[in-house]
This record gives sequence, C-alpha cells and structure tokens, in this order.
Amino acid sequence: MSEPMIKTNQLTKHYGEIKAVDQLDLTVNEGEVVGFLGPNGSGKTTTLLMLMGLSLPTSGTASVGGYSVIEQSKNVRQIAAMLPEGAGYYDDLTARQNLRYIGELNEIPRDELETRIDELFDMVSLKKWADTKVGKFSRGMKQRLGIMEVLVKKPKIAFFDEPTLGLDPKATKELRDLLIRLNKDYNLTIMMSSHLLYEIQQTCQRVLIIRKGQLVVSDSIANLSNHFDGKDRTSIEFELTKVSSDLIQKLKDIDGVTSVDKESKNKLFVQTNIDKSQEISEAITKSGSTILLMKPKEHSLEEIFLNYYEDD
Amino acid sequence: MTSFIVVCKKELADHLGSKRFLLLFALIIVLSLVSAYQGAESIRQLGSGAFVNIFSSSMSGLSFTYVMLMFGPIIGLALGFDAINREKSQGSLSVLLSQPIFRDSIINGKFLAGIIALSLLAVSTIGIMTGAAIPMLGFGPSPDHIVRIVAFTLVTILYLSVWLSIGVLFSTLTKKTTTSMLASISMWIFSAVVISIVASLVANTVYPTVWPSSVYSSGGMLDQNFFDDYMERMELQNELRTTIQRFSPSILYQEASSAIITINRVPVTSSSGELIFDSSTGFPSIQYVDEAQDILTNWPQIVVLAVVAGACFAASYMIFLRKEIRAGN
Amino acid sequence: MTSFLVVCKKELYDHLGSKRFLLLFALILGLSFFSAYSAADSVRNQGTAVFLDIFTSSSSFVYIMFMFGPLIGLALGFDAINRERNYGSLSVLLSQPMFRDSIINGKFLAGVSALSLVAVSTVGMMTGIAIPLLGFGPTPDQIVRIVFFTLITILYLSVWLAIGILFSTITKKITTSMIASVSTWFVSAMLMTTIAMILANLIIPTYSTYGGYGMSRTGDDITVYLGDQVLTGDEANDFMDRLEQQNDLQKTLCMISPSLLYQDSALSILSNNGWYSTGVVYYDFAPPEYDMFVNWPHMTTLAAVLIACFALSYIIFLRQEIRVGN
Repeated sequence: MSEPMIKTNQLTKHYGEIKAVDQLDLTVNEGEVVGFLGPNGSGKTTTLLMLMGLSLPTSGTASVGGYSVIEQSKNVRQIAAMLPEGAGYYDDLTARQNLRYIGELNEIPRDELETRIDELFDMVSLKKWADTKVGKFSRGMKQRLGIMEVLVKKPKIAFFDEPTLGLDPKATKELRDLLIRLNKDYNLTIMMSSHLLYEIQQTCQRVLIIRKGQLVVSDSIANLSNHFDGKDRTSIEFELTKVSSDLIQKLKDIDGVTSVDKESKNKLFVQTNIDKSQEISEAITKSGSTILLMKPKEHSLEEIFLNYYEDD
Repeated sequence: MTSFIVVCKKELADHLGSKRFLLLFALIIVLSLVSAYQGAESIRQLGSGAFVNIFSSSMSGLSFTYVMLMFGPIIGLALGFDAINREKSQGSLSVLLSQPIFRDSIINGKFLAGIIALSLLAVSTIGIMTGAAIPMLGFGPSPDHIVRIVAFTLVTILYLSVWLSIGVLFSTLTKKTTTSMLASISMWIFSAVVISIVASLVANTVYPTVWPSSVYSSGGMLDQNFFDDYMERMELQNELRTTIQRFSPSILYQEASSAIITINRVPVTSSSGELIFDSSTGFPSIQYVDEAQDILTNWPQIVVLAVVAGACFAASYMIFLRKEIRAGN
Repeated sequence: MTSFLVVCKKELYDHLGSKRFLLLFALILGLSFFSAYSAADSVRNQGTAVFLDIFTSSSSFVYIMFMFGPLIGLALGFDAINRERNYGSLSVLLSQPMFRDSIINGKFLAGVSALSLVAVSTVGMMTGIAIPLLGFGPTPDQIVRIVFFTLITILYLSVWLAIGILFSTITKKITTSMIASVSTWFVSAMLMTTIAMILANLIIPTYSTYGGYGMSRTGDDITVYLGDQVLTGDEANDFMDRLEQQNDLQKTLCMISPSLLYQDSALSILSNNGWYSTGVVYYDFAPPEYDMFVNWPHMTTLAAVLIACFALSYIIFLRQEIRVGN
C-alpha cells in the first residue's frame, strides 16, 4: 500500500498552559472518508489547522500527501483544501467572483478556471445564483459556496470542519450525498468533524475520536459497535406481539440476564452476560407472546461516543 | 413601574458602567479642567471680572465651548449609534420585543436614558469647572452669571441630545454597527470640520473679493466706488459663509452659546469718543463690559437645534415602529 | 500571476468600488476644484502671480490634504485585516497555497495604488483647470516642484494607510480599530498644535500664554512689555531667549504629528521662502533641488513612520495564531 495521505507523529500544540493537542498520532489513507469526533475544546479544529499548515505545531510532525506541514506548508495547501468552521466570504462580490479569487490564488489557468467554476455551479445546483452578491445568500447557499471553494482547486484531500452547522435537514442530506459522490467519483480523501454523530455514521467509513488532545479511538463504526458491549456481554433486540410486565419480571429472574428494557409497546432489549437465548425464547413463548424479530442490537455512534466521555 | 422606566433604568445603568462612556467622560473632565484653568488665568490677568469667561476664553485655542463643540458630538453619538442595531445583531431585540411591552417603550426608554447620562455629564462638568475656578479667581459668579451658566448648561444638554438622536437614527437605519459608526463619524467630521471649509470655498467662489492688480499700480490710492463694492462683496461673502455653516449643529451651538457666555471686550474711550492709550504699554486700554448680550439673542439657533433633535427622534421612532422583525435579525 | 498580485488586484478592485473610498475621493476632488478655482481667481488678480499658489492660497489644497488625506488613508486600511478575520474569510484565504506575507503586501500595494490615483488625479485636475483660468502654465522648475509635491502627498497618504493597517492587525473588532484611527487623526490634525503649546509652556515657562506681550527695540536694547511689567536689559534678553527656546520646543513637539510634518514640508516646497548660498541671501525661489534638500529630514521622518508601521503590522500578522473561530 502507498504512503498514507495523512500521518502525524506526536503532534502537539500548546496555547500557553493549555494543551490543545497532545502527542497525537493518527493515520488516514488515500480514498478514505474519516469522521473526526470530539466534544468542544478537544482539539479538533486545532488539529485541522495544523494539518493545513495554518498553525505551527509546538512539537511533533505531520505530513499531508507526503509534504511536511511545517517545511512545505505551501505544497500542502496546494493539494489539500479546507472548509473552516464559520468560513466567510466576500459579501460584496458575487459567488463567481469569490470563486475566481480563490481559483486565481491557486494559479489555475483562466480558461480552465471558468469551465471548472461552471461545472461546480451545476454540481451544487447554484447556477441561478452564480452572479448574485454573496451578501444575499442564505446559510445553506453560503455553505455550498464554501464547498465549491474547496473543490475548485481539485484537492487530493479535503477537510471539513463542522460542515453541517446551521444547515436544515434537507441541506444536510444533500451535503452528505455530495461528499459520498465526490469520494466515489474522484477518490477524494475526506476528513470531517461534526457534532452530528448521525451524519458521521451515515457518511464515514472510519471514525477517529479525540479527547483532551489525544486519540482514543480509530476504527470502523461496525467494529466499534460490535465491541461496545465488551467480550462477555451481548444485547439482543426483540420485537414481540405483546409485552406484559409479568414477562419482564420473568426475564429478569433468569440467571445471567443483567438488564431488561422496554423500549416501546412491543420492543424489548435484553442484556445478558452468557448466552441465554434459549431460556429467554421459552419464557416469551410461555407468556403467550410471539417473537416477531430477534437480532443483536446495533449501537448508535452516539452511545459509543458517550461511552468514551462518561468520565468528563 | 412601567416598562418604559424599566428599559430606561437598564440602559442608564449600561451607559454609566460602559467603558466607552466613562473614558469619554474622563477625557472631557480633564480637558475642561485645563480650559477652566486657562480661562481663570486669563480673567485674572486681564482683570475682567466676568466669571463666565472661564467657559469662553479661547486664548490657547482650548476653551470649554471648543471642547464641547468637538467632543460633545462624540459622546452623544457614542451613546446612540448602536442603540438599536446592536440589540438586533445580538439577537436580544427579538427577545425584548416578545415581552408584553409596546415598541415605543424601548426607543423612549433608550432615548431618555441617553439624555439623562448626557445631562449628568454636562451638569457635572460645568459644576466642576465652576467649583475649580472660584478659589483660583477668589470670587464667584454674580446672580446674572449664575443665570447665564444655567442657560449655557441647558443649551449644552440640548446640543448633546441632538447628537444622541442623530446616533439613534443611524442605529435604526443601519443593520451593522460598523456602518452606523462610520456614518456617525462622517457626520461628526462633516459638522465639525468639513462644513467650514466648504462654506468658505463656496463663498469665496461665489463672491470673490480680490484686490485687482490695478489697485496696486495706482500707488495705493483707492477708488471709492471700488472700495464700496469691495466691502459689499465682503459682506455678501460673509453672509453666504455663515448661512452654509449653519447646516452644522456644531456651528449653531457655537453661535447660541457665545451669546450667553461671551462678555464683550471694548476699548476705553474718552467722552469725545477718542481711544485712551495705556501709558505703560502704549496699547489702547481695554475694558470688559459686563453688559453682555441678551441670553436669548440667538434664540433661532436654539430653536433649530431643538427641531433637529425632535426630527431625528421622530424619524427613528417611526422607522423603528414600522420595522419588520425578520429571521436572523 | 503570483498570489501577491492576485490579492493586490482584488483589493484594488474592492477599493475602487467601495462607497467609502468613492465618497472621500469625491469630497477631496470637489473641495480641490473649488480651491483651485478660487485660488486661480486670486492669483490672476495679483501682480506677482506664481502658478504654485493655486495649491497654497487660503483653504488650500495643502490644507485639504492635511485634513482629509489621513481620513482616506485610514479608510483604506483600518479594517484590512480584522474585517477578514471577523467574516471568517481570513482562514479561507490562508488555506490557499501562498504565504501570509502575500496578503499583507498585496493589501498594502493596493492601498498605495488607490492613494496614488487620488493624489495624481487631484493634482492633475487642479493644474488642468488652473492653466486656462490663468492663461499660463507652470515653468519647468515648477513642474519639478509639482511632481515632488505629489510624491510627498502620496508618501503622506501611505503613512496613514500603514497606521490604519497596523490598527487593523492589532485589534480584533472593527469598531476598535475605527475608534483608534479617528482618534489618531484627530490628535494629529487638530489637537497637536494645542498640546505642543501647553507642553512647551510647561517645560519652559516664559510668561502666561493667555496675555500677550509687547516688544520694542532701540539699537541693541530690547524692552519687553508684559501685562503691567516692563523688562529691560538682561532680563529682556533672557526673556526673549526663553521665548525662542519655547517656540523651538513647540515646533519640535509638533513634528510628532505626521500631518504637521506634511504641511510644513509641502508648504516649503510650494512657496517662495528665499534661500541662501555661500553667504548670499536670495529672495527668490530656490532651485528645486535646494528645497528638496531642506525637506530631507521631514521626508525621512515620514518614510520612517511609514516603514515602522508597515513592518510592525507585517511582523504581528505573520506571527498571529489562527485559532478556533478566527
């Protein structure tokens, strides 16, 4: 396998006394879509700024696309693009003029730039508004302009910091589809941070969770979910024709069952520390109910995430 | 307590605690003390005995009227320029408007709070100056001068309120506080500096008063007709200049207050009307006539100031009451 | 095209389209037009007409530049950096493949270009309308002076641009840098003379400034009248010496203000001050080189202020951390 797209080595950033990023080691491969999670103040944005070469690390190193973010930051910015949190645009200029400025700064030849801009307007369906001043844009439109500014330089890797902030559900879904398409069509490596865990779950193949400036998790969501309960614990989800309080009590009495939760009128979560599915099924049938569905429970990223922050 | 008073109380507390207000207040107090010192010094030196000269003496170019003329607008505007649009951009306006109050309570309360803060400033500054000047001079104001000082204080409060209402108007008209600040600063510069330059340039162009070269060549003798014509043009030029300048509230204030606090300086004349010269210096003797002009000599200027304040307030009131509260405002 | 030029082009385009710039430009052009018109009128009617007087007679172009030049310079600079920071466009800009200095250099060059346009077009317009009004144009020597004066004006405007950019680099809020800019202008253009006078009188007290003084001279004997005091002999000489020291100090203190520096140096280039060379006093215009030489210290001081402000903004901007939310 070729060199990783991003590799950091003991990457550290201090702001005075505060350790924003603390000896971070992470790797992202080409073509991956990676979610970057952490609560406010955990060092996400600082890490992204360092990876773009906008902020100098206090110690440690990082490379993006094979370029050092310290010595070759200009090269990094040639192949990497970022949509920063709360990115702003020139309100007095039209969308096209904004894009042209960014394009010219990337030294894209004039003709090529114009064609590319037109393509991008089609891609994010903003063509009608191309020659409108950005000051009149809604938040969602501005966000799409931001995405165009990221794409106009044809990056190999794109960083998105909270891209869905302030977007309505429809715009959020459109953004997600666009990112997935870009990854597929252009093999664009994407690293995104978001507090909307559902979004990450839907978009990313892998998540990195950082806490107090240190990486605590780097895995696929499926693996995380499987390991969530630990080695000797499993959760099973039952869908029944009816659920009585008598049944819940009976199930709790079974040796090895640690908890029984009634999720809705006819849904039950049963957690066990040894395999007791046989006994459980029998108990259910005895109570006069029928099992409609039985499957191991999938954990949402939110549960996984909260698990790592229980202590905070 | 009505909501109007609640808003006013909160705004007043905000003003009195704001760095912006306190800094400007301190600056004005310092400058005023310097000007009071100079005023007292000049009264002592010239033996005029006219107490109100502590406000008008401008021998060093820094009289109290000049300080007010220049810095008064800044403090008035500072209290008004972001009164409405700051609340709008912070999002606190929609919260405020969701309370069971009428919109006019908000703008009335803000305006009254501003006037109170400005009155406090004017009264305390003039009070401090008077207090500092009495021991320096060894005498206090006569009853007539006390009346003059009170009238001067009221005109000063009116002048400051004009600028407050201009500021509030800008803050209702514009969305961004930076825009209203820029507008306020431009207005101030225009009123304090630009208008005088424009007035004299325009007056000079319309009524040029130039000695033609023939006057120089005729050996210094002036043609009487030419001289009369010259004087007439000079007068017309002055008139036009003054008229243009009166578009500035600052000039109006200057005129209105000068009638109140300027004590005329006249040369001493003998009964036959000839000048009497001081034997030691050789200069004509000067005396201060404590029969100053009537306080209300320049009442039209005061009326115009009041009208400007009223008009700006009414305009902001109407605009604010009709304004739609929209998303993100 | 390098990124520096891209930034410069965009900023220049912004300036030339901005209301702020156009308004001030129109104000300066309008005032200068009136000024040239009424000056030409008075020059025409005087026997000793000198073309350069169109720039220096009452409510002159020099005074207009003295007053409003700072405003246009500051207007182009005071929010150059912090506006981008506030609107979030700075981090987008910095994510492009260029170095930070391109941004500040580009912005500065764009400002200087816009200001040069103001200076050249205003001086050109004034010369243009004055020639037909007067019926004669500047002599070659005077053309040299006009060019030199234009350069000083551009230098002066750029000083204010640099001061504005410095404020926009060190402050976060646009309103703060705006207040700082206006205060600096106010002190420099309006208050500095008074401040210098008060300070000079405090440091070298001579007499109360608030009365006048009179003086008469018979041969080498000086008599000074001071209120009801009369000074003669050494006392009078001493008084005059101190008065001179005070005046010198006041002049020196005034030179802290770029505006007064500019006024001084512009007037000395444009007016006939007489000159001397090898012991002979001439009451005529000096050769232009002479006045340029005399003005050298003023020019270098202005240039030093310009460079200091620019270098400071440059260093601060380059070291500034881009942090969350910026």
